[in-house]
Amino acid sequence: MKNVQRRDFLRVLGWGGASASVGACGFTSIDSGVETVKSYVEPEDFNIPGIAVYYASTCTQCEALCGVVGRVRDGRVLKLEGNPVSGINQGKLCGLGQASVQHHYNPDRLRAPLMRQDGGLKPVSWTDAMATLLDKSAATKDGRFAFLTGPVSGHLKVLVRNATESLGSNQHFTYDPLSTRVNRAAADQLFGAESPRLLLDQAHLIVSFGADFLDTWVSPVHFAGQYARFRRASDSKPRGVLVQIEPRMTLTGANADRWIAIRPGSEGVLALGLANALLTGKSAASVAVPPAIATAAAAFDKTRVAAETGVSEEVFDRLVRLLRERAPSVVLSGPSAEGHVHGSSNAQAILALNWVLGNVGKTVLLPPKLPFPQIAPESGDTASLQQFTAGLAAGKFDTVFLHDVNPVYSAPAFLKYKEIFPKAGFKVVFAQYLDETAREADLVLPVDSALEDWGTHLPAYQPEGLELTLQQPLMERLYPDGTRSVGDVLLELLKRRRPEEYKGFADYYAYLRAALLRNRSAFVDAPGDDEQFWTEALSKGVLRVNAQEQHVPAKAANVELDFAGATQAADAQYPFRLAPAVRASLRDGRNANLPWMQETPDTLTTIVWDSWAEVHPATAKRLGIVDGDILEVASASGSLKVQAYVFPGIHPDVIGVPLGQGHESMGRYADGRGANPFRILDPVFDRKTGELAMYATRVRVTKTGARGHVVKDEGWKSGNLKTQAGRKLVVTVAADKAKLSEEV
Amino acid sequence: MKTRNLRARANCDGASRGPGRWVVRVLAALALSLATGLSFAGDEVAQPIEFPHDIHAGKMGINCMYCHTYARRSRVSGIPPLRKCIGCHQSIESVKDKPRIKKLFEYWEKKEAIPFKKVNDLPDFVRFSHERHIQRFYFQLGRPVEEVCGYCHGNVRGMTVDVKVEPLTMGWCVACHQKDHPNGKPGVVVDPARVIYPRMETADRPAQLVIADTSHGPNDCWQCHK
Amino acid sequence: MSLEQTLNDWTQLRRTHPQPGSHPDLKWAMAIDLDACTGCNACVVACYAENNLPVVGKEKFAAGQAMHWIRVERYWNEADENSPEQGAQFLPMLCQQCEAAPCETVCPVGATNHTADGLNSQVYNRCIGSRYCSANCPYKVRYFNWYNYPEQEKAWPAPLPMQLNPDLTVRTKGVMEKCTFCVQRLTDAKNTARNEGRAVRDGEVLPACAQACPTSAITFGNLSDPYSHVAQKWRLQRVEINKDKQLKDIDESHPGLRGYRILEDLRPYPSIMYLERVRDNQA
Repeated sequence: MKNVQRRDFLRVLGWGGASASVGACGFTSIDSGVETVKSYVEPEDFNIPGIAVYYASTCTQCEALCGVVGRVRDGRVLKLEGNPVSGINQGKLCGLGQASVQHHYNPDRLRAPLMRQDGGLKPVSWTDAMATLLDKSAATKDGRFAFLTGPVSGHLKVLVRNATESLGSNQHFTYDPLSTRVNRAAADQLFGAESPRLLLDQAHLIVSFGADFLDTWVSPVHFAGQYARFRRASDSKPRGVLVQIEPRMTLTGANADRWIAIRPGSEGVLALGLANALLTGKSAASVAVPPAIATAAAAFDKTRVAAETGVSEEVFDRLVRLLRERAPSVVLSGPSAEGHVHGSSNAQAILALNWVLGNVGKTVLLPPKLPFPQIAPESGDTASLQQFTAGLAAGKFDTVFLHDVNPVYSAPAFLKYKEIFPKAGFKVVFAQYLDETAREADLVLPVDSALEDWGTHLPAYQPEGLELTLQQPLMERLYPDGTRSVGDVLLELLKRRRPEEYKGFADYYAYLRAALLRNRSAFVDAPGDDEQFWTEALSKGVLRVNAQEQHVPAKAANVELDFAGATQAADAQYPFRLAPAVRASLRDGRNANLPWMQETPDTLTTIVWDSWAEVHPATAKRLGIVDGDILEVASASGSLKVQAYVFPGIHPDVIGVPLGQGHESMGRYADGRGANPFRILDPVFDRKTGELAMYATRVRVTKTGARGHVVKDEGWKSGNLKTQAGRKLVVTVAADKAKLSEEV
Repeated sequence: MKTRNLRARANCDGASRGPGRWVVRVLAALALSLATGLSFAGDEVAQPIEFPHDIHAGKMGINCMYCHTYARRSRVSGIPPLRKCIGCHQSIESVKDKPRIKKLFEYWEKKEAIPFKKVNDLPDFVRFSHERHIQRFYFQLGRPVEEVCGYCHGNVRGMTVDVKVEPLTMGWCVACHQKDHPNGKPGVVVDPARVIYPRMETADRPAQLVIADTSHGPNDCWQCHK
Repeated sequence: MSLEQTLNDWTQLRRTHPQPGSHPDLKWAMAIDLDACTGCNACVVACYAENNLPVVGKEKFAAGQAMHWIRVERYWNEADENSPEQGAQFLPMLCQQCEAAPCETVCPVGATNHTADGLNSQVYNRCIGSRYCSANCPYKVRYFNWYNYPEQEKAWPAPLPMQLNPDLTVRTKGVMEKCTFCVQRLTDAKNTARNEGRAVRDGEVLPACAQACPTSAITFGNLSDPYSHVAQKWRLQRVEINKDKQLKDIDESHPGLRGYRILEDLRPYPSIMYLERVRDNQA
């Protein structure tokens, strides 16, 4: 096969035929000699104008790291589809993944490095920027350098770590505002792995305590695919039943057969009560349950559970019956259960139910052992950010690099990140946009978009086997002199600091290629020929790693439960709990400048282009709140102004405000829009992991007197109706009547 | 009606290639252009390099698709990549110093695409597939390239730079389609072995499969309108 | 187009009942399983990406001028509207490509017609913007370009136009648009098939929404191919495209059937069959 060097081919590509599009005057004309048509100069044979070529890459919009293929016409990427070869998404792709192209073509992307001069950020050349970066780094004494990144894995993580070490430091901090640390720690404790494999499609029952696996939790596209099979019936399996238990309805909750609104924080109590009921008549040892669970559970009968959780005894009984009758099942723990001072104990009590029910080894399995810890995913957490901020406050860092994080926006306000950040001597921020954090930098380096960059990634959640996903550019850089790959910059730094080790690599691409070729034996069915291996790897986008299978332990390790402070007396000043919900479209706010994500209606409320505060109808009636009232939602740590939306899918004592809006600096679609709940989170932390307890913030709600108009998609056809009003649009059939096993 | 007149005059019988036919066409085209204000017939468009089709396609007899190689496999026939010109001209000593060739090599040195002006242009809302027409008339029916390409592009062997000679209006295209694909024509018989119904038993496969005329204009607007 | 052809088309338009056998070999249809649909809106974004849909912004969205060719409607159950114990009801709604489309008969200029492969076509440059078709559409799935999005509203500030799909027009002010079942993909597939002398295979071509859907809730294919997935689904549910009352409505002895069409009693004969959402009352 010909030497397919995509980089070379792309370099000499001309724009063919693309001129005849929007923007030319008179595009309906059939005049002669008006439009320009350019040939290619030296194309590869497979590049035919008018026919799309598809290149495989990885979507980096969330930690699922789905495989994508980009449809490329005439040298520009138009749309992404799911990569059928990827075991994670198997050819499917979520809306956020589709919107990657809007990050790539975003009008507000940074196109030149910026350096702080005379108090402001001024454009400089890359030569000057790199010179400054290298000089400042070289001048930094040992131990005075820190690197703060978002979740990272693969070879970029190696470069980050090595760059940090080369500057005499070991301070690489990883921050994820939507951290899953509590869940991972509990899973590790109970099952022996942070991200156990979940076979949702084998389960007959899923009981999820707030894990929004269809929309935002861990690997949504993968779980959605499993969910489709879970819902189908066959001769060997009935239609799966989904029960969702949470204080605020997520998309997964909206699809549940039974949605249970629970008093926030009391999920562990419910879990223990269920364990108690299920263990009745069984000895704990016989079901391999952690002894601490069995002991703690004994104290919770259904009356006590009802009193503390608000879940009625009748609902409790039904749930117990379901859990007994439908096996195997799977019990999941999510952020709303984990975001409390006793969040770890909640998670442990919930996940332990899988031991009680005998799910471990059936629907809860272990992923293979990763043979390369240096590329293992660093998933990030808020404790790491706190360490970084503490270091900043103590004046410990002379030079800091930030990549893929925006703490000025997403760090909780009580951390006072914006005030503390200047204490670092020299601040380098790698960013695509001039976001809130970049504005505070001393040097802003514009990075390539995900569709222009190389990379390798190791998804934290591995559905089957072990897959290393590859990322390759889907087209030439949009701004060849304006942006660079982070990998290239770090490599240049490493070539300066460790020339012997890194001088052989021309750039990040060469480094990745060499690294993968050198470790070829690690991959399943790797061809012996270099070119063949590389071409096949790129065309598939996925490399399967030879990995040792791991088996679930015979019984669970013991846990330590600590529910002190769980049932707090209601605070008269702040009577409600805040539910800072994650939206799949915006996530931690990084996607707020994508017009498709702003325009796509929220799945549960259908609201667009704004934030809102969800108020239960009974609460709204009590407080005299109607849709559109501008409310002040205030905690002890801050306050927000946001429009009210009466929403039945929420506990009456909870106010839901979605994350992701409220940017002050990001771009034209994001700025000055909505409110940022990160600002009002209280300094409450999970006792065990030190993670920020996101669902523990208490708020009060006051009407400001102003009233707005809620812009949403529901109701415009038929007078603001939220129900079908007797029309047969969505018809529901009872599961026992439908004959699903006879369907195709 | 204008449509009827055009059909009567621009008869695609294919056989006669006398000058009379061209006169009639040019007259018709001029008449239409006067009537509708469209400028198409005969105007020479200035190109960055005045490419002589008469030397290449005429004197040398090079097949259209040697350069316009994408015509048989894509919706566009494509301006040949610069490499194609250089592929021959790097070895042709006799014209190496001609001004046009020098200009060609200038572009090649800079690796810059030549910005030709589009002569036969269709509006952006029209979907036209060169591939289907070439496959049908050239490969399937075996008609010569003068006829197949020449039907819409005229006698390119006689031109230097390309000149638009046909109106390429909807009515003009419809006229030919109407003749070959009138409504009610029986469907196309297809070899059933080439039809794969994944869950179909081999024994159940039909002996003969007739595909109705679903993919020819003009009665399906969406065949040609995007 | 000849006068004879126009009169033929007009006679076809005037028929209120689709004729069986009018699409002998190719009739595009869909089946949407509302039990698999999670309401995630991946289909909505995929459609925006594929079909050059303009983002209209907050003010125009408020005026009901959003351009989402497919939208996911969310309803609450009336019985427990304030405490939804069985979640929400999601409905992906798009042009139903009706066989007796109410929009086709009322266009003053014939900009919307029925194609030979069973789609309801919308020809942008014939449309004069009377909006009669959207008034007649019972599903309200036709969207009018009230503004000149590409040029005046700057819906695509540079370099966003580079993302636009060249296989379809970017619409300007004054034309009606709607879901096309990604006709650009269908035409490409038919061309490829014709080049190879065969019919289009089941699963060979999918519209953007069906391709993106993470639960594969949208099944798409050729209803005239008895072995296609979508034809099997329709047949199993005993739903026939040319009937306005299905077996389910007539005969009570088939309670397990869950295929239905929306607003079927208005007799537009839509080409999309929905499968009823399922909830387990034991839960």
